Amino acid sequence: MPLDRKIAHINLTTGDIDVKSIPLNVRKQFIGGRGLDAYLLYNYARKGVDPLGPENPLIISAGLLTATCASATARTHVMAKSPLTGLLGSTNMGGFFAPELAWAGFHHLVITGKADKPVYLFIHNGNIEIRDASGLWGKTTTDTQWAVREELGDDEVKSLVIGPAGENLVRFANVMTGIKNSGGRTGMGCVMGAKNLKAVAARGTLDIKIAHPMDALEYNKRFIDQITSAKVNQTQGTLGTPFIWGATNCWGGLRTRNFQYNQLEYADDIEPERLDEIATETIGPHHMTGCFACQVHCRAQYKIPSGPYAGKYDEGPEYTSLGAFGAEPGCTSAETVLTGNHLVNQFGMDNLETGSMIAWAMELYEEGILTEKHTDGLDLRFGNDAVLLEMVERICYRKGWLGDTLADGGIPAAEKIGKNSFDYLIQVKGMNNLHSDERATPALALNIATASRGSDHLRSRPAIDLYHLPEGVLRKIYGTPIPYDGPLSSEHTSYEGKAWMVFWQENCYMAVDCLGICKYHTTFLGATLPNFEDWPKVIYYNTGLEFTPEELWTVAERCNMIERMYNIREGLSRNDLKKGDTLNHRYFDEPCKRGAPDVIGMCIDREQFEKMLDEFYDYKGLDKNGKPKAATLKRLGLDREPSRLL
Amino acid sequence: MPLENTKQSAAEALRQTRTFGKVRCHNPSCMGRIQPEPGARLVKCPTCGMEYRLYWVSPTLPRIRGPVWDVNREIAEKTFAEKQAVTKPTAGKMKGK
Repeated sequence: MPLDRKIAHINLTTGDIDVKSIPLNVRKQFIGGRGLDAYLLYNYARKGVDPLGPENPLIISAGLLTATCASATARTHVMAKSPLTGLLGSTNMGGFFAPELAWAGFHHLVITGKADKPVYLFIHNGNIEIRDASGLWGKTTTDTQWAVREELGDDEVKSLVIGPAGENLVRFANVMTGIKNSGGRTGMGCVMGAKNLKAVAARGTLDIKIAHPMDALEYNKRFIDQITSAKVNQTQGTLGTPFIWGATNCWGGLRTRNFQYNQLEYADDIEPERLDEIATETIGPHHMTGCFACQVHCRAQYKIPSGPYAGKYDEGPEYTSLGAFGAEPGCTSAETVLTGNHLVNQFGMDNLETGSMIAWAMELYEEGILTEKHTDGLDLRFGNDAVLLEMVERICYRKGWLGDTLADGGIPAAEKIGKNSFDYLIQVKGMNNLHSDERATPALALNIATASRGSDHLRSRPAIDLYHLPEGVLRKIYGTPIPYDGPLSSEHTSYEGKAWMVFWQENCYMAVDCLGICKYHTTFLGATLPNFEDWPKVIYYNTGLEFTPEELWTVAERCNMIERMYNIREGLSRNDLKKGDTLNHRYFDEPCKRGAPDVIGMCIDREQFEKMLDEFYDYKGLDKNGKPKAATLKRLGLDREPSRLL
Repeated sequence: MPLENTKQSAAEALRQTRTFGKVRCHNPSCMGRIQPEPGARLVKCPTCGMEYRLYWVSPTLPRIRGPVWDVNREIAEKTFAEKQAVTKPTAGKMKGK
C-alpha cells in the first residue's frame, strides 16, 4: 500500500508518543504537508492558546511526494500558532530533512507539551526517542547539527534545529536545517525554544513504496526537462535568488531604507554578479548547490572575503539577505551582506524580519522617536554597517533595551516605543513585509495584504505579472484548470483581473506546499513551469492517488480556507491594521521616490485596492468582512470542522 | 493507466513562445524586447532610451545586470515631471465593475 504513512503525536511534558496512520479520506481532502498541517492546527490548537505555552501544537511535516521519485520535493513545513503574529504560524524550508523524516517512518509530527529540560527528538526507522539536549543548549545552528551527528555516531542524520535566538525566545527565531535552509517566517524557532526542544533529528532507511515506479521515473524525465529548460531556472542555477533582487532593484520595486525609497542606487558591490564573483573566488567555479532531488541548484556557497568574520563558510545569500543587510538598512557592502547572512544563519533568526526590524528602528532613530538613550549610544543611522551587525547580535541575545524590545517583534515593540512608531512599521498581520515595494504593483500589494501568515510573497504572489506577458499567455495560465473569462491585464500597474491572479496563485502555492514541491518548480517565477495540469500525473505514478486538476484546485481552496478559518478564530478582521487584510498607510499616501518611469510617483489607490479586495473575497467565497459564507464551507466540506479525524 | 499522458499541459505548450538572446526593457511603460550583440556589456533600449548593464548567463541567455544609473534616473525624473504636470500619480485605474 503506497500510502501507509504515519503521523506521530508527541507530548514533551509526559513523554507520551502516539503513532497513527493517516486515513485515505483525510489525504484526499488535505493531501499532506502544509494543507494537512493546517487541518491539524485547526483541530488541535485551542482558540486563544498561548503561542509560547505547552498547549500550542508544533506540527512538522513532509509533503505527499517527499522521498518519492518526484523532483524537488524536499520541502519541510512547520506550523503552530505564531508568537510573532498571534495568528497562523507557518514556515517552509528546503534541504534534506523532509525526505529523511519520511524514510524514518513519519510524514507528520504533532508536538505538544514542554520538556522540563532541553531535549531533542531522534526519529529512526519508526522509533521516536526524546533525548537530553542540555549539552546542545547555547550552540549555534551549525554546531548543534554537528554535535547531534557526533552523539548519534551517524553523519547521515539530518536535523531541524534552533540556535540561540530560539532559545532566547526571539519572536522571529527560525528553524534551520543544513547551513542555511531556514524556516524563517512567523517564529517557529521561538515555539521550539518555548518547548525546550533544541532539535528534531531524523535518520531513516525505510522504504517509500512507489505505486508505478517505472512510469514515475519516466514521467520525471519530462518534469525535469520542463524545470531545467526554463530560463528563470537557468539563471537561478547561476546566480541564485539574488538575481531577482537585482532585477527588482533595476526597475524600482525594492523596499529601501524602511520603505522611504524603492531602489538602492549604485549598489554594484552587492549585485548578484558581484556575489557570484566572490563565491567563485572563495569556493571555486562550481559553488552552486541544491536541495534534495532538485536540478536547479540555486544556492551559492561562499566564504566571507574580509572583515572580522573573514574566511567563515556559509551559503546564500538569498534575496532576503540582500534586502535585510543591503537595501533596508541602506548598506552597499558585500562584506556586510555576507556577514549579516552568516550571523542570522548561525543564530537561527529570520533574516527578513531581522533586517526589517533594524531598518524600522533606523528610521525611528533618524526621526527622533528613538534616541541614543534607547540605543545605548549606538549611532543607528541608515548606512552604518557596523551598527547593523551589532544590532543583529543584540536582538539574538536580547542585549540592551533596544535589542530586547526588537526581539519581541514589530507590534509589541511599537507599543513599547510608543509615539507614532507604529506608523513606520511596514507589516501585515504583525509580520514585516518582504523587501520588495508593491506601490507600483497592485496585484503584489493584494497578495501581501491577504497572505495567510502575514505579509508574504510565497502565499499568493503573481510574480509573472511583472513580465508583461501577452493576454493570451495569461489566459492559458490563469484559465486552467478553472475556466476564467474575466478581465486580465498584462500591465503590472493595473488593477484589472489581479484579484483572480492572486486567487489562482494562492491555490497554486498551496498545492505545491501540500505536495512538498519547491515553488521554483511551479508558476512562481516562470510561466512554463508545472502546475495543476502536470501534478496529477506525478501524484498518480508515485502514490497511486487519483486527482483531476480540478480536484487538486478544490483541495487547495479547502486548505486555504481552513487557514483562513484558523485566523478568523484568532481575531482576523478585514480592516484591522494589526490583524487584517490591509496595508500600512504609506502604500496609499507616499508615492515612490525612485525607479523607472511609471514607477516613480506611484502609490496604491485605496479605493481601487478595496474593490480588488472585494473581488478577491468573492472568488474565495467570503463575505464583505472576509468571513467564509456558509455555502462556501459546505461546498468545501468544512462545515463540520473541527472533525478531529487524526 | 487512467491518465492521458501525451498531451502537453498549458505550461509545457508555452515553452514554444520563449525567445532567446533577448532581454525585456525594465521600463514598465516600454517593456520592449531588446536584442543585444552577443557578449555585449551595455545595451540601450531603442524604444525608450533606457540604458542597461548586461550579464550573460549563457551565450544565448543575457540578463539585465542593472541600470546605467545616471541615464535612467534622468529619464525617469523627466517623465515623472511631465506626468505630474497633468495628473495625480497613482497606480492604474480599474475599468468597469
